[in-house]
Amino acid sequence: MEKKSKIGLICSAGGHFAEMLQLWEAFEGYSVFLVTYREKTTVNRKNTYYLGNIVRSPFAFVVGLIKILWIFVKERPDILFSTGSEIAIPSFYFGKFLFSAKLIYLECSAQVYQSSLTGRWVYPITDLFLVQWEPLLNQYGPKAKYVGGLI
Amino acid sequence: MIFVTVGNDFRDFSRLIKKVDEITPHLPHEIVIQRGYSRYRPQNTKHFDFVPIDTAMEYIKMSELVISHAGIGTIILCKEYGIPIIILPRRKKYGEHMNDHQMEIAKILEEKKDANVHVIYEESELERVIKEVLKNKEKYTPIENVGRANLIRTIRKFIERGVKE
Repeated sequence: MEKKSKIGLICSAGGHFAEMLQLWEAFEGYSVFLVTYREKTTVNRKNTYYLGNIVRSPFAFVVGLIKILWIFVKERPDILFSTGSEIAIPSFYFGKFLFSAKLIYLECSAQVYQSSLTGRWVYPITDLFLVQWEPLLNQYGPKAKYVGGLI
Repeated sequence: MIFVTVGNDFRDFSRLIKKVDEITPHLPHEIVIQRGYSRYRPQNTKHFDFVPIDTAMEYIKMSELVISHAGIGTIILCKEYGIPIIILPRRKKYGEHMNDHQMEIAKILEEKKDANVHVIYEESELERVIKEVLKNKEKYTPIENVGRANLIRTIRKFIERGVKE
């Protein structure tokens, strides 16, 4: 029997989370888990791990990183997909170098002309890098792709 | 119903909530505010801090009109459901956001001229625009989201290739 990929979905709350839900169909039929921030807007979802916001304090950052590592050890993702924001940075670096995961990143549709800090951090190691506005392509290298946006 | 939301950002956006609260007595509609982390407590309007995103999606579906910051989550949903939306961008100069990228979103949406998206730049315009939008009884049909379909297809194709390898 063909082994189905395990897919880790990574996003912070708010618009990044809304964008993730918009793309849920892309992962149908696969085994998925979600890593997001614990907020009143994101609570009580199936197959979901919650972190405190990692940029809130240095302590939260360290705890968040350890938690991401622990989640990945448990789940062994083959592929990671993120709609941002900064929660993607440690997740992608751990995923790539410790778990040889393939990485897919979608730059948020709020980035029209300027790249995001997260986008710049993960671009070099991402396998499929998508932006949602055509003008943003010239902020990144040749690997960046535009196939359309959610807005 | 009119649903008002200012997003998950921790920065205050009382400017919009206060204005809506002032307008509430002038309108016959039920108005519900998701005030998020904003400090202002509405006096005339039903409000709560946050509901889970699925509940917020139900509120949006049931609404005649949504009023929001230029947050992409809400805008995407309003377009999907064909609900008119009035957008007031958060501004850096008032400490409402870390930068002015909501202005960029607002401007590019204005250029796209989607029938159900109404952009304002000053809260003083809100009451006039609400009345205009509500007067227009034309039903907006949800627009098929080609960008979303393309993104799903592209991501799916990449994943399927990964499975075979």
